Amino acid sequence: MQFLLASGNNPISHVIDAPVRIGGMEPYSGLTLQVVTLFVGLIVFMAVLLYASKNISTGKESLGHRRYLSRGRIAQVIEVMCLYLRDDILTPMMGKKDAHKFTPFLLTLFFLILSLNLIGMVPMQDMQLITGTWIQDAQLAVVGGTATANIAVNAVLAFFVFIVIQAHGFRELGVKGWLEHLCGGHELVAGPKALWLVVPIIFVVEVLGLIIKPAALCIRLFANMFGGHTLLATMLMFGGMTWVGTNSGLATAGVTLVSGIFAILITFMELFVALLQAFVFMFLSAVFISLMSHHEEEAEAHELEGATATAH
Amino acid sequence: MNIFLLANEAAAESPLSFKLLPAYSTIVVFLVAFGIFKFFVWPKITKALDARDEKILSEIRAAEAAQAKAKAAQSEFEKRLEEARTAADDMIRKARSEADRQADELRTRSQRELEDMRLRATQELESAKRTALAEIHAVAATLATSVAGKILKREIQPSDQKRLVDESLSEMTSR
Repeated sequence: MQFLLASGNNPISHVIDAPVRIGGMEPYSGLTLQVVTLFVGLIVFMAVLLYASKNISTGKESLGHRRYLSRGRIAQVIEVMCLYLRDDILTPMMGKKDAHKFTPFLLTLFFLILSLNLIGMVPMQDMQLITGTWIQDAQLAVVGGTATANIAVNAVLAFFVFIVIQAHGFRELGVKGWLEHLCGGHELVAGPKALWLVVPIIFVVEVLGLIIKPAALCIRLFANMFGGHTLLATMLMFGGMTWVGTNSGLATAGVTLVSGIFAILITFMELFVALLQAFVFMFLSAVFISLMSHHEEEAEAHELEGATATAH
Repeated sequence: MNIFLLANEAAAESPLSFKLLPAYSTIVVFLVAFGIFKFFVWPKITKALDARDEKILSEIRAAEAAQAKAKAAQSEFEKRLEEARTAADDMIRKARSEADRQADELRTRSQRELEDMRLRATQELESAKRTALAEIHAVAATLATSVAGKILKREIQPSDQKRLVDESLSEMTSR
């Protein structure tokens, strides 16, 4: 029963950040489980990617043609992800130059968020609580939770994206171009004066957009991870609630069986969501960055259209 | 029940409460992760992928060159085969015409030899005929003389004999 009770009487309590506890005490004031998980995520990120990069890199000449092949499943999976994201997502969307420039930043975001999301799937907090309770009521809780279910973590990641978007915008468009972008673009500013009436409205919308875009990234990731884990905790709570309500072992077993099956299914869905949300965060960041690029192809297309119109 | 208590304490906080320690930790974690990825992971991966691309491209180029070479060799081989076939046809044609010529020659020679043989045989026959006739003349004359002598029971003079032979011969010739 303790496994089921571990989800708590409030599903949110299972998901929300909690202080590090050893023996019922909080030895490090302010240090929370998700902060520890964050660093564990960093270690996993580093370990997996350094291992993968070593195994992806070209091997010794003695291996012959096989030296060009990645060695090991993990390296192959990481390589496939890198290749897919770089060649099929980022390069077509951002252009070769920008993709080359921003791929390390965007893939860091992707792999870090993915690491944190997947580590969050491991019920470390519950295992420690249960184990700690069994072991002389030690109330052990050192690591656990999903770091990306913490709004502060996501906000900082989104802030980095915001910085990169604006830095790229300044570099690409210049201060004047950046301000024109905020006013609706050069076509509107240099266009008919009657259209200037809409410029203040667009300016307000664009300035809000500067904040809203990264905020949306932050909130989307937070909501998905927090919501998913809350749903899972809710599923696991039903057994405990039935026991408290009916005190019937049969009823509890029945409800636990059904809710357990659903919990397993939702866990698989959560695995998918963990991957999807890491991708979405990275993908939308790339979209927002590329929106700030000076699109030479578009300019060429406009020039071509203009030339065609003049010819006619 | 301790678990419930822990959970209840935690639930008192809002999920949206912004704490500085996770934020600062995230800054550190992200910067470290980015540094590691940018300087130690990504260069290795891109270098390996570029090396592999280059290797694949060079292999493809080599394969294309080998294919072109094979095609050239094949066309050269086909050209030589065609030449050999033409030469063989020429040889066969020449051999056939030579054989025909030789056959004609043989036939002509045979016919000539046959003709010669026939002519020679005819001549020999004529000669044999003449010889036989001469012998017949001689034998017939001798026999006739002898028979006539016996019939007449008298001696026939050589002049008579000659006259009788001539008469007999003329009779025989007229016959």
